Amino acid sequence: MSQPFEGVRIVEVGDSIAVAGATKVLGDYGAQVTKVETRGGGELRRAGPFRGDVPDVNGGAYHLALDTGKRSIVLDHDTPSGLEVLTRLGERSDVVVLHQPAAAGLRLAEAFERLGDGGPSVVTMSVHGLEGPFAERRENDLSLFAWSNRMLRHSFDDQEPMRYSAHVATLQWASTATAVTAATIWGRRHDGVRRRVDVAGVEALAGSVDNWFVPWSFTGANTPRPAAPSRAAFPPPTLRATDGYLAISAANEPFFSRFCAGIGHPELAQDPRFTDAAQKADHYDEFMQHVDAYLATHTRDEAFRELQSFGVMIAPILDVGEAFENEQARVRGSYVQVEQPGFGTHTIAGAPFRLEDGWEAGPAPDLGQHTHEVLSEIGYTVDEEIALFRAGVTG
Amino acid sequence: MSTQLLNGVRVVEMTEVWAGPMGSSLLGDLGADVVRLESFPRPPALSRPLREGNAAPGDGPPYERAGSHHLANRNKRNIAVNIRTEDGAELMRRLAGSVDVLIEGYSAGTIDGLGFGWSVLREINPNLVMISMPGWGVEGPYKGYATLGSGLEATLGHTLVRGYPDGPPGHVPTMYHTDATGAVGLVTAVIAGLLRREATGEGCFIDLSQAEAWSWQLAGLQAEWTMNQRLPERLGNVDPHVVPHGCYRAAGGEAGDESWVVVAAENDSQWGGVARALGHPEWAESGHPWASITGRLRARDDIDAALAAYVGERLAEDAATSISEAGGIAAPVIHHIGLMTSPQLQARDWLETVTHQYVGTRQLPGFLWRIEPDAPSWDRVCALVGEHNVEVLGELGYSAEQVEAMLASGAIGDRYGA
Repeated sequence: MSQPFEGVRIVEVGDSIAVAGATKVLGDYGAQVTKVETRGGGELRRAGPFRGDVPDVNGGAYHLALDTGKRSIVLDHDTPSGLEVLTRLGERSDVVVLHQPAAAGLRLAEAFERLGDGGPSVVTMSVHGLEGPFAERRENDLSLFAWSNRMLRHSFDDQEPMRYSAHVATLQWASTATAVTAATIWGRRHDGVRRRVDVAGVEALAGSVDNWFVPWSFTGANTPRPAAPSRAAFPPPTLRATDGYLAISAANEPFFSRFCAGIGHPELAQDPRFTDAAQKADHYDEFMQHVDAYLATHTRDEAFRELQSFGVMIAPILDVGEAFENEQARVRGSYVQVEQPGFGTHTIAGAPFRLEDGWEAGPAPDLGQHTHEVLSEIGYTVDEEIALFRAGVTG
Repeated sequence: MSTQLLNGVRVVEMTEVWAGPMGSSLLGDLGADVVRLESFPRPPALSRPLREGNAAPGDGPPYERAGSHHLANRNKRNIAVNIRTEDGAELMRRLAGSVDVLIEGYSAGTIDGLGFGWSVLREINPNLVMISMPGWGVEGPYKGYATLGSGLEATLGHTLVRGYPDGPPGHVPTMYHTDATGAVGLVTAVIAGLLRREATGEGCFIDLSQAEAWSWQLAGLQAEWTMNQRLPERLGNVDPHVVPHGCYRAAGGEAGDESWVVVAAENDSQWGGVARALGHPEWAESGHPWASITGRLRARDDIDAALAAYVGERLAEDAATSISEAGGIAAPVIHHIGLMTSPQLQARDWLETVTHQYVGTRQLPGFLWRIEPDAPSWDRVCALVGEHNVEVLGELGYSAEQVEAMLASGAIGDRYGA
């Protein structure tokens, strides 16, 4: 059975975690993705961690995870010679996904547009969009998150706002670009029209559902940041069992009643000390005595299983090592092994959704591994290829 | 002739919290005809606080006035059906038989218990693309377990790495990021399913675990373990290899007492910008101990102190602009109002102004992308419960009398009780 994006040719330009993340899923579901990289490799290949803490442009964690199954060519597209190669490559592609500084991105997008109706659709990525007063500002994962209206809420009151973890904001932007790129591919198959798509990182994050702008806009009221987990809502979101922690959402009905039943005290759910909003905060400690007595006799996994059987939304808080050993992940094959030439076996996250025979992660390419293959494919002669290499245009 | 990208694609969605509704609205933004099938006679308990919390003032029922409900249910039609009744189940079968895509977000296995699992629906509609999106996926030992995003994050190992570096485990502010990843992941999955159907001539089933839909984005955390058998640490805003890379309290700004600025310099050139903005260009000149990357790594505390002092005397927006315009990386940690005051978002005319019968005229975040030609448009504001019962059922062949009878019997509805 063919993979869903089989036959789709995508060119990725930009050397960044954002653009590599944008094309990864399409490549894993069958598209042929050709990365156009700078000599020496850029942000993506230089992002660690690295095995044994030894930096290596062919061995970085994000490169190995996000470049699965892609081809790599090295090309200086800032030169007229390089731009000619890139344009020819684009001409033979369905979509070009670009992450460049705004002016450079505009220039490249226009170069592809000059190819006319037969040229590729173009998806541009930039933190602020290609035009406007902030278009040329330099940003990174941290500042993108600050601009997104999410970071301020990721804090307790009077304490420093924090990012989530490294590159989480950037990769949400990337997966937003993946979605609209997929739609662009589908749309063109049906109406033949190539599109130009602009995915600004700030808009991709601030426009999604997890923001507080909307409640503010609707109510005119600022949702206060808590100083700490509330004593007026219980059970609190984190519980400690004999050997570890659990995350739980059971402060509202019917989950509160289920939780009380689960810990062996269904009567607590009828007790106004614990159900009346005006009284709850004063009786937090009494309630927690019952909870702590239960947790003192249950391991994390016992409490998880037992309370889930009562319909309580609860989960074990795992460390990253435990996440790989988690029963659900093991049975589903949530992590997969990739044979990476020159590196050995490497474990990465598997398919983001399960479609029969749809997903496969090939090895990530060495820097410039496919320059010769791609140049030949798009019609360059041996002498032309040597000339480009000699001048430093390719690598 | 061009049209919106997903023009002609018919979708029905039965999802609640918030990845499913948001992702389905994104399909609507792209031009799909999306019908939201509301649970009737009441919304699921899970969604009630979200659906009714933060309601705009107004006369209509509170469940029609919540902001997130409006954001995540635009560009859809709405029918409210009790699929546990015989007439409701027949309606569900007709609907499943008429659409290209069906999305459901119940706990794993629930849809089978309701009699509408894949094995049933594929018989009704062999061309159907069906997507089930329970938190941990359809199959596996967690089948039937319920969770919100906080549980998904917990089992991926992320909860333990965010939060304050010196805080106790799990002492973390709430985050809903998995809903955002699930929403855009859903769009990609739908299109993959449609392409598969086109290639094979028959429908397909997609099992979308919202945990797995995010997991591939945690490559750095995972590699600490797989490459080096180390558990990643809680770092807050620190990057061990970049100085400066932090968040500093400002003297004030649009966020009032909550005004902060992030500042970073990933290389010497950006550091030069920071140094110039702070009035100390010599900090970036060769020979100065802070001019080099390694020198800055050794001086992290001193550089943090210099930035804290600079930002602490200024308004957040002013400090960020000065550093950014000089060539460093800096941004105010924006408060909600920042989305309205940003010169960039204003120049791009990004916010959407939407008028709804119960909430009046409100501003909502704009689209996640721009597309030319055929820009996304907010064609349908968030629909009322059952607003399109007559229209959608009519398309499915029901007469006005039949619709009336189903309303009377409670198989469908157009309002929730108390």
